[in-house]
Amino acid sequence: MHPTMQSTFSFLLGLLLTASALHADELPTPAAALFERNCVGCHDDSSKKGDLDLTSLAFDLEDRTTQDRWIQIHDRISKGEMPPAPNDLPESERALMVRALRHPLAAADRAKIATSGRGPMRRLNRIEFQQNLRDLLHLPHLDILDRLPHDRQSHHCDKVSSSLDMSRLQLMAYLDAVEIALSSALVSTKEPPLVRKRRVEGKQLASKWYIAGGRESLFFSRDSKGIDLELRSPPKGQENEPDPSVELALFRSPGWPYALWPDKVIAHTSGEYRVRFSARSVLQLKDFVLQTGTRSVPMTFRARKPTNHDIAENVRPTGGIIDILPEQRVYETVVYLQEGQTIEYGLLGLPSPQIDAQGKTGYYRYPPFPEGGQPGVAFRWLEIEGPLSPVTWPPASHRVLFDGLGVEVKSDNPQAEAKRLLRRFIQLAAREPVPEDAIAPFEKLVVGELNSGETLAEALQSGYQAFLCSNLFLYLREPMTSVNHFTIANRLSHFLTNSRPDAELIRLAQDQKLRDPVTLRAQTQRLIAGDGFDRFVRHFTNSWLNLSELRRDEPNVRLYPEYRLDDYLVESMGRETRAFFATMIRENLPAHSLIDADFVFVNDRLARHYGLHEVKGSNLQRVDLPRSSPYGGLLTQASVLKLSADGTSTSPVLRGAWIMDRLIGQPPPPPPPGIPAVEPDIRGAQTIRELIAKHTASNTCSGCHAKFDPVGLALENFDVLGTWRANYRGLEKGDRVSGIDRAGHDFSYTIASKVDASGRLVDGRQFDNIHDLKALLRNDSRQLARNLLNQFAVYATGTPVRFGDRAEIESILDACDNNDYLIRDLMMALINSRIFLGASHRPVNQ
Amino acid sequence: MNRPHISTASSHLPRRAFLRGMGVSLALPALECMSPVLVRAATPVVAPQRMLVIVNNLGLLPRHFAPTGTGRDYKPSPYLELLSDVRDEFTVFSGLSHPGVDGAHSTDNCFLTAAPGAFKFGFRNTISLDQFAAEQLPQSTRFRTLNLGVTRPSEAAKRSLSFTRDGILLPPETSPANVFRKMFVQGAPGDVQRQLDRLRRRGSILDTLNLEAKRFNRTLPTADRERLDQYLTSVREVEQRLQTAGEWEQRPKPKTNRTPPADIGDSKRFFDQLQLMLDMTQLAFESDSTRIITLIVDTFRAPVLRLPNQEETTTTYHNLSHHGQNEEKLRQLEVADREHLIQLRKLIDDFAAKPENGERLLDNTMILYGSNLGDANIHDTTNLPILLAGGGFRHGQHLAFSRERNQPLCNLFVTMLQNLGVETDTFASNTGNLNEITVK
Repeated sequence: MHPTMQSTFSFLLGLLLTASALHADELPTPAAALFERNCVGCHDDSSKKGDLDLTSLAFDLEDRTTQDRWIQIHDRISKGEMPPAPNDLPESERALMVRALRHPLAAADRAKIATSGRGPMRRLNRIEFQQNLRDLLHLPHLDILDRLPHDRQSHHCDKVSSSLDMSRLQLMAYLDAVEIALSSALVSTKEPPLVRKRRVEGKQLASKWYIAGGRESLFFSRDSKGIDLELRSPPKGQENEPDPSVELALFRSPGWPYALWPDKVIAHTSGEYRVRFSARSVLQLKDFVLQTGTRSVPMTFRARKPTNHDIAENVRPTGGIIDILPEQRVYETVVYLQEGQTIEYGLLGLPSPQIDAQGKTGYYRYPPFPEGGQPGVAFRWLEIEGPLSPVTWPPASHRVLFDGLGVEVKSDNPQAEAKRLLRRFIQLAAREPVPEDAIAPFEKLVVGELNSGETLAEALQSGYQAFLCSNLFLYLREPMTSVNHFTIANRLSHFLTNSRPDAELIRLAQDQKLRDPVTLRAQTQRLIAGDGFDRFVRHFTNSWLNLSELRRDEPNVRLYPEYRLDDYLVESMGRETRAFFATMIRENLPAHSLIDADFVFVNDRLARHYGLHEVKGSNLQRVDLPRSSPYGGLLTQASVLKLSADGTSTSPVLRGAWIMDRLIGQPPPPPPPGIPAVEPDIRGAQTIRELIAKHTASNTCSGCHAKFDPVGLALENFDVLGTWRANYRGLEKGDRVSGIDRAGHDFSYTIASKVDASGRLVDGRQFDNIHDLKALLRNDSRQLARNLLNQFAVYATGTPVRFGDRAEIESILDACDNNDYLIRDLMMALINSRIFLGASHRPVNQ
Repeated sequence: MNRPHISTASSHLPRRAFLRGMGVSLALPALECMSPVLVRAATPVVAPQRMLVIVNNLGLLPRHFAPTGTGRDYKPSPYLELLSDVRDEFTVFSGLSHPGVDGAHSTDNCFLTAAPGAFKFGFRNTISLDQFAAEQLPQSTRFRTLNLGVTRPSEAAKRSLSFTRDGILLPPETSPANVFRKMFVQGAPGDVQRQLDRLRRRGSILDTLNLEAKRFNRTLPTADRERLDQYLTSVREVEQRLQTAGEWEQRPKPKTNRTPPADIGDSKRFFDQLQLMLDMTQLAFESDSTRIITLIVDTFRAPVLRLPNQEETTTTYHNLSHHGQNEEKLRQLEVADREHLIQLRKLIDDFAAKPENGERLLDNTMILYGSNLGDANIHDTTNLPILLAGGGFRHGQHLAFSRERNQPLCNLFVTMLQNLGVETDTFASNTGNLNEITVK
C-alpha cells in the first residue's frame, strides 16, 4: 500500500490493513483504539509534539524512514517513556499496543533482511585499512593512519557501514597513503642499508644540557656526586669526551623545556635499531649526592626529531616500558625510528617542573624530595646499532610487489611479466577471488603505462596503487549467499584482528568450511588467543568506552595538584582497562564483571591510586581485592571514572548518563532544549546534590533524570581520576591543605563538604554507597549481556542490531542465561548466528 | 607606499590543449579557475573570501591588551587605543583558548591545530586550520596556501603554524624575496613537466577505478549501489581536481611592475622584516596568488632587536617576555608590543583602502591576529589575545567569555571556515561556533 496523507481514521485503518496483510491475527482491533485514545491527542496534525503527527504517518513498513519512526514509537511505549505520565496507561493496554506493533515490525524487517541482507557493504575504516596494508606488504611499522580522515562514529563504533562514507578527500587520502605504502615496500639498493653503531659515554649521553626545572632535574655525576653544576651547556666549540666515570643523572619526566637525547644519535634511515644501555635507579639526596635506589623507575624511549625543546610533530614511545632497577645493569631493547629521528629519554611518573607561576623569578623550582631522597635514573653508557637488517634482501615487502625479479625489477618480456605480476599481486591483496573481468581494467592500465614508456616497476606500481584504491580492496561485503565463505572469513578477521584473513582462514574459505559451527568456533578461539586480538581489544575499547580520549580533560591543577602532569598514571589507566577487557573475553568471565570483580590489574602507580598494598614495577599484575575495596569491574576503573568526569568536577548527571549509555546500554533520551548544564561550584559552598535537587523535585525533570542521576550519585565517592574520597575539595570553604605540586608550584585547596553517595534507583531500590549499587546493578546481568551483544554486533557487522534481529539476540541470551552470561560464550553465539553469518543462515529461532 | 600594479597574462587557457597534454579524456565540468584570475578585471565577479592568520608567539602584555566592558560599548585598553581609528573594523575576543594545549613555547605549533598534550605519551600534531580549509575548498588560485614566517631560516623546520593531516610540519617561507619569486617568476620547464607527468599517472589510475567501479556496480544489490555511488562521485571529483591542478601548472604567472624585494639580513631589524612580509601578504591577495596565508611572527626566537624608537633592547625578546615585573623590561616590551599593533592598524588601513568589486578588499579578507600565549611571562596558554578584522563580519565589539572556563578558540575557527565557504560545523576541539559576529 502506498503512503499518502491520511486522516486519523484512515491511519488507524491503514494500521489494521497493513498489519493484517502481514500478520492478520496479531493485531487485535483494540490496539487501534488505544492509539487513538492515548497518543493522537498530542501527536496530531496541530500539536505535532516531538515532530510526530500520527494522523499523517502511514503504516508503511517498506519505507525505511517510516519503519524507523514506528520502531521508535514501539520502543518509547515499551520502555514506558510514552505516554509521558506512565500511570496514564494501564500495563495491560501498554502490552497490547506494544504487541500490536512488534509483530508486523519484526516480520517486515526480517523480510527485508532476507532479500537485501542486514546492511550495505562497508568501507574499511582507517585503522583496518592501515592494518590490511601492513599485513599485505609485510610492513609492520607502516604509519599512514593519520593521512586518512577520521571515520565518523555512531553507536559508539567507527565501523558502521552507513557512517563510513566515501568522499573526494577520502579517495585522495587513499591515493596518497597507498603511494607512500608502496614506496616504503620497495627497495632500490643492491645491499641492505649500512648498519651503523654508536656508543656514547659520560657527557655524550646528552647532546644538550638544559637547566630543565632546576639543577636537581638533570646533572652529571662522578662517584655519585654532581659535577660541573655551574655549567648550563658544554663550553662553546668543545666536544663532549667519552668518560666512563661519568653518569647522567635524571630526575624529571618530560615537559617544557625538555630536549634530552644522546649526542649525535640520529637514524640515517628508517628502521629498527637495537639499543643497549647501562643504568641504575638512584635516589638524589641533598647537595646532588646520589645513593642507590630502593625501587625501580620506569622509562621509555621517545622517537622524535632532534629539533629543540619545543615539540612540533610527533613524539612516539618506542621500545616498550623498561623498569630500571637499583643495581647497575645492562638493558636492551629494539626501537623503531624514522629517518632523521633520535631517541629521547623519557622517565615516567617523576616531577615535571614548570616556570614559576607568578612569573617573578622566571625560574623553575624542583619540588621537595620525598623522605629518603628523590628517585631517578643514572645512565652510564648507551649503544645504538642499526637499522637491523631484514632476514632476506630484497626484503619480503619488495618480493610481494616484484616476486623474484630482484632490486632492478628487470625482465626480457616486460608485457608478459607485468601481466603475471599483476595477477599475482591481486591474488595476494584481494580478500576473495577476483573474477577475470575485474582484472581487465588494471591490466589495461599497466600495459598502457608500459607502452607510454614507464619502467616495469613504475607501471606495476600504478596498477597496484589502483587496485588498493579500488572498491575491490576498500569495501567488505555482507554475507548473502551460502556458497561464499570469504565474506565470513573477512567478517571474522576484521572483527577479531582488525585486518585481512590470514592464510588459514583463506584456506578454510576456499574449502567452504566456515559455515561449519565446529570449525567456526575453533577459528574464533584461535583468533582470540592470537596476537592480533590485542588490536580488537584496543580498538573496541577506544570506541565503546571512548578510551582513546582518556587524556582529553586535564585534572584541574588547583583542586588536584597531585595529578598534575602525571602522564604515567593516565597511561597506566588505559592499560588496565585493556588488560581487564581482554581477560573478560579470554577467561570467559560473566557479564556482570562490567560492574564488579574481585580482582584488578594494577602496577606500582595504580596500586597507590587505588590504595592497595605496594606493587612493584610498571607491568600490570593481577591482584585480588580485599572485600572492602570499592574497586573491581569496569564501572569503578580509574579510566571510566576519568572519562565520565571533566577534570575539574564530577557530575552525577553526566557520569550517570555515561554509565547508563555505555556500560548498561540504556542511554538517556536527549536533554530538552534550552536547559543549561549544571555548573559545579568549585568554591566548595554548595554540594552537587544541592545543585541538582531540582531533578527530583520537578516532575518534568525526574521522569528522565531518575534513570541515571542515581548511578552517578553512587559514584560520587570517586574523584575526577577515580581516587576514593570521603569529602569534596574546594578552594574557599573548609580546612586548608597546602604544599608544592609536581610542577614545583604552590598549591592550596580545602577539604569541603562530606560526600553523600546514597540514593534510590528508578524502580525504588535504595542504596547507601557504591557497594550497594554494584550489588543492584549486577543483578540485571541479562541487560549487561544484551548491551555487550549489541555492541559486539554493530562492531562485527557494521550494522546495529535491527528490529528483526531482536528475537535472535534474546534467544542467544536465553541460551547463555544458565551460567551468568559468560562473555566469550556470548561472542561465540553471536558469531554463530544469522546476524553474523548472513540471511541465508538460519540456525535458531525461526 | 609604493603601490604595486599587477596584471596577468591575457589568455584564457585552452582546455582541449591541456587535455591533450594530460593524455586522458574526461568529461569537462565547468571550472571556476578557467575564468580570469584577477578580480581587478572589469567583469563582475563575486569576490572570494580570504584568510590571513598572524601569530605573534610571545603575545602581548595582557594588562595593556585586555579591554574592559563588553559588547559594542567596551572601553579599549591602552593597546587597543592604537586601533581606535579602525575600531569598527575588528572584534576583540577574550576568554578563548585551546583546551589541553599546553607546553609553553611549543604551543605556537598547535595554534592552528589545537592538538593537545605536546609532552604526553605519544603526541601527534594534527591538521591546521589553513590546510583544512585548502583541502575542502576548490583550488581557485595558484597556491592553495602560503605559509610565511618572520624568523631565522634555521627555525623554519622547527616552528610553523601549518601542519598536514598527519601532523607533519610545513616549514614557513622566511624570505620575502622567495615569496615574490614564487608568485611572479616562471618556474623551470622541467619542474612543470615532472608535475604534469605525475598528474597524468594519477589520471590513468582514476580512469581504471572508474571502469572497475562501473563493472562492480552491475553486480550489486540496490543498498550497495548507494554506497558505490559515493565512490564513483568521489572518483569524478578527484579527476576534476587533477584537471585544475594541471591547468595551474601550465598557466603563466601574473606580472607586476613592483621591484623584487631584497631580504633584510640584519636580524636586529625585526620589525622591518615584519613590515616587508606583511607587504608580501597584500601582494599575494592582490594578485590572487592565494586566498589563505599564515604568518608566524617568531618573536620567541628573535634576537636583541632595534625598537622603532631606534633604541636597542637590552636582551633578547624572549628574555624580555620573562620580565618578572622588572620595570625596564616591561617598558621595552611595551614599545615592541605597540609596534605590532601599529603595523596591524596599517595593514587594516591598507586593506580597507583597496576597492574590490564595489567593496573593499578588507570586507573579503579575514585577518586573525593572535597569540598562543596569554601571558608569556608565566607561559600561560589560556585567555589568549585574539582579534579578528575584516571578512564582512559585524565588528566593533568585545566578545568576552569566562576567564576561568575559556571557550575553545576553535569555535571561532569554525565561524571563519564557514565564512571561507567551507561546509563544516566542526574543527578540532570546537564545541560550537561564534556565528554571533556574522552579519545578519
